Amino acid sequence: MIMTTLILGLVLGGTYALLALGLTLQYGIARIMNLAYGELTLAAAFVLVALFSGLGLSPLAAIVLIAPAGYGVGWLLYTVMMRPLVRRSGASGRLEVDSILATFGLLFVVQGVLLVIFGANLTSISYLDRGVSVLGVSVALNRLIAFGICVVVGGGLALAMTRTRWGLTMRAVALTPGSAPLVGIDVNRVARQGFALGTALAATGGASIAMYQTFSATDGVIFTMKALIIVIMGGVGNVTGALIAGLALGLVETFVATAIDPGLTLAATFAIFLVVLLWRPQGLFGRG
Amino acid sequence: MLEVEGLTVAYGKHVALNDVSLSVGQGEMVAILGANGAGKSSLLGAISARVAARAGQITYRGRALAGVPQHRLVEMGIAIVPEGRGIFPAMSVAENLALGAFPDRARGDAAAQRMEVFDLFPKLAERRDQIAGTMSGGEQQMVAIGRALMSAPDLLLLDEPSLGLAPVVTQGVFCALERIRATGLTVLIVEQNARATLALADRAYLIEAGRIIGSGRAEELRNDPAVVRAFLGGASAGTS
Ligand SMILES: Nc1ncnc2c1ncn2[C@@H]1O[C@H](COP(=O)(O)OP(=O)(O)OP(=O)(O)O)[C@@H](O)[C@H]1O
Ligand SMILES: [Mg+2]
Repeated sequence: MIMTTLILGLVLGGTYALLALGLTLQYGIARIMNLAYGELTLAAAFVLVALFSGLGLSPLAAIVLIAPAGYGVGWLLYTVMMRPLVRRSGASGRLEVDSILATFGLLFVVQGVLLVIFGANLTSISYLDRGVSVLGVSVALNRLIAFGICVVVGGGLALAMTRTRWGLTMRAVALTPGSAPLVGIDVNRVARQGFALGTALAATGGASIAMYQTFSATDGVIFTMKALIIVIMGGVGNVTGALIAGLALGLVETFVATAIDPGLTLAATFAIFLVVLLWRPQGLFGRG
Repeated sequence: MLEVEGLTVAYGKHVALNDVSLSVGQGEMVAILGANGAGKSSLLGAISARVAARAGQITYRGRALAGVPQHRLVEMGIAIVPEGRGIFPAMSVAENLALGAFPDRARGDAAAQRMEVFDLFPKLAERRDQIAGTMSGGEQQMVAIGRALMSAPDLLLLDEPSLGLAPVVTQGVFCALERIRATGLTVLIVEQNARATLALADRAYLIEAGRIIGSGRAEELRNDPAVVRAFLGGASAGTS
């Protein structure tokens, strides 16, 4: 029983962590609170389904295509939509409000497009949907693969952020953007990279969710909300924090669903969120 | 090496810098002396592209700097320690120094550069894992100067490195500047601490209410009665 909760919780938490990573990069580095984040995630999920059902492409191969495409979309969104807002806000705090309004609009645009193309029905694929025994617990193979993607991508990103020069400059811009130009960092370029990478992570997360979960075109806001809660719990811009908080949230939700009542998972999520917000508003692990 | 011609900086209607011209030669240490609000930081700000100039021209090694963004200047060899230091307070000393070596020009011999910085400020070597924001004001100033040196600059701009520091600490900073100076690095320093600065610099410009009101060799200015009255009189409290 405990083992089951633990393993299923970690597997669920892996997806949450992956989703939150992208949002924490976008908010922490580019300073854009992207309310359309969940819709971008969903768009990638639909693309995976289309590639799988339509072209017969294996989901793993599809992800290899979807992730860089996500980067490209993020790059374009930043250049076309966010850059003018960034330029206008200058050093003032206007960017946060402007970006919330702009991405709130984007949310409905993307959602509308998804509804038109894919309809409002629940969508899912059947891919490697057989149980595998992990330490005596039966877990669907597709979930395990999704978890593996999270471990590789999330772990790689956490290492890159803390151990490489590239990560050092990303963190420098996230923590003290005003000082970054003094050491020759082009803050705009880094912000665009951060936003694009965040979108690539949203796409990877969405595509891996589509491998095992049923979803519909209106689910985006739930993804955004959960990712946001994890970002705040882990500390804005903090990659390692998002990983840990994501796994923790998966564990808690699974525990509440199995031990108490599945209907209470969302309530439990918000209870934790409130406790963190009241007790440690800077997040459990501080800013990245 | 650096020429400033007819520079005017204004914030709205307020003219902070009015038709300022000066030059800094290769290997020179030049000081800008002036009281609070004279326009010293605005001058360094305009040179380092942190504030926009309303008129005038800034030339570095024969190249006009107009339109060159702030982050490109470091690559061209201009390093600045701004007012307020501009360090990364949430990061460790080692990370601050590593970021200092971010420009391509510095990447090759970052290790050698770091040895030099540690030699200059042994304290930074001892405290390399400390979070910079938790250090004392003097130590943070060392981080800021060390970070600037990590980029292997050809021209170092310093904005009041002694601001807010206790006399002993100020003395330490000026000792370090003397050693930096001895390496032949070109330095443009803004200070209110005229006595210590004039003891170190080759030349100085006096700035008041946004205008240059005098200039000359440091040893001459030291003995100029008008300068002594205006800058070295009561202002020496807390130094040398
Ligand atoms: N961002 C700004 N907006 C409006 N006025 C400004 C701004 N920055 C500076 N000023 C004004 O310009 C004048 C010159 O300021 P500056 O900071 O260059 O002086 P300073 O010589 O560096 O003074 P201090 O010794 O106090 O640092 C001051 O009157 C100041 O109030
Ligand atoms: Mg000043």
